[in-house]
Amino acid sequence: MQQFSVYKMGPEINIGGIDLSFTNASLFMVISAAIILLFLFVGTKEKKIIPGKVQLIAEMFYTFVAKMISDTAGSKAKPYFPFIFSLFMFVLFCNMVGMLPYSFTVTSHIIVTLIMALFIFIAVTIIGFTKHGFKYLSIFVPSGVPAVLLPLITVIEIISYLSRPVSLSVRLFANMMAGHTMLKVFGGFVISLGLLGGWLPLSFSVALTGLEILVAFLQAYVFAILTCIYLNDALNLHH
Amino acid sequence: MNRYLNFFIAFFAISGDLYAAEAGMPQLDPKYWASQAFWLILVFAVLYFSISKFYLPKIKNNLDDRENRIKDDIEDANKSKELSESKLKEYEKILEDAKKEVIKIQIDSKAKLDKDIKEKKEKIEKEIEKELIQAQKDIAELKKSSISDIHNISKEIAANIIEYISGDKLNESSIKAAVEEISKKNVGRYL
Repeated sequence: MQQFSVYKMGPEINIGGIDLSFTNASLFMVISAAIILLFLFVGTKEKKIIPGKVQLIAEMFYTFVAKMISDTAGSKAKPYFPFIFSLFMFVLFCNMVGMLPYSFTVTSHIIVTLIMALFIFIAVTIIGFTKHGFKYLSIFVPSGVPAVLLPLITVIEIISYLSRPVSLSVRLFANMMAGHTMLKVFGGFVISLGLLGGWLPLSFSVALTGLEILVAFLQAYVFAILTCIYLNDALNLHH
Repeated sequence: MNRYLNFFIAFFAISGDLYAAEAGMPQLDPKYWASQAFWLILVFAVLYFSISKFYLPKIKNNLDDRENRIKDDIEDANKSKELSESKLKEYEKILEDAKKEVIKIQIDSKAKLDKDIKEKKEKIEKEIEKELIQAQKDIAELKKSSISDIHNISKEIAANIIEYISGDKLNESSIKAAVEEISKKNVGRYL
């Protein structure tokens, strides 16, 4: 599990007795964000009517996220577009940078995904209450349910709502960690089985790398689209 | 997703022993949690603000520009199409008018020509008739004059013949009377 270990880089930063040192995790957050900003900088440098390659990819990301939001959360979610776009890009690039050998996967740490999920959860709850007041609680009482089942359903709804940050964060964290662990295990098999038997796990490793790239994209997409769905609940109330 | 998770858990249980020496899951070590949270919030905040303030408006502007440009171009094209269609209609109308006029001119000129030909024909026919009458008259006159000429010639011939045969000269009046008598009998046969 050495690939997941966090270690300090540079001097110790201690604010109010809390260790906030710059670590390799921080470094890869900065690297991912820098890649995103560089990519967007190059993609928006020239405003061409007929776009170049980088501009086209940047615009494709834009329309992809814009379509995702308008499909799942409607036009009311437009003000939250920059946040969801940033979130999607950040998770996607963290996952992708983590696929490089000897790199560190920021999103394979539960604390990172939990903070993002908690932020989304709290923000969505605040948005829901400010938009609808106490009527927002009506999302716990789905319409068209028989009166006998209503107390049970409501309890289940409340539990599922409260478990959102956990499921959102654990999904991303577990996927990233599982993938990297599997890659490491198969890599270990390659070494231990040697030149004779190592080819089978090696081919698995190659296939898994492809799968992991897919998972890296998919989990970023799932993370963003679930955020959109939660936002839709808060904005439009129908459950 | 669940199957994936189960697979991972099972796998982790098996491989756990292999990597037990490496201090378990570093993710659950809270030593750097605060640091990770702090840097995550900092980095994400910077990312969010630069994306929302600089890059997204730029991309949006460009996309809008392109959409407007395409819309304008389509509008222009539609306008041009309408214009060309109306011009085509105009042209077709002109063509049709011209065709009608040509037919009218044809009919008119034909009628005029027919009339002209008829008039001329009539005129010529009249002239021909006139000439014919004149010719008949001339012929009749010629006949008359030729009869008297014949009389004279035959009279002279008769006198000459008589003179040659008999050596005498008969008086003219008796010859004349004889010739006239004979010619009266025979002239009907020659003319």
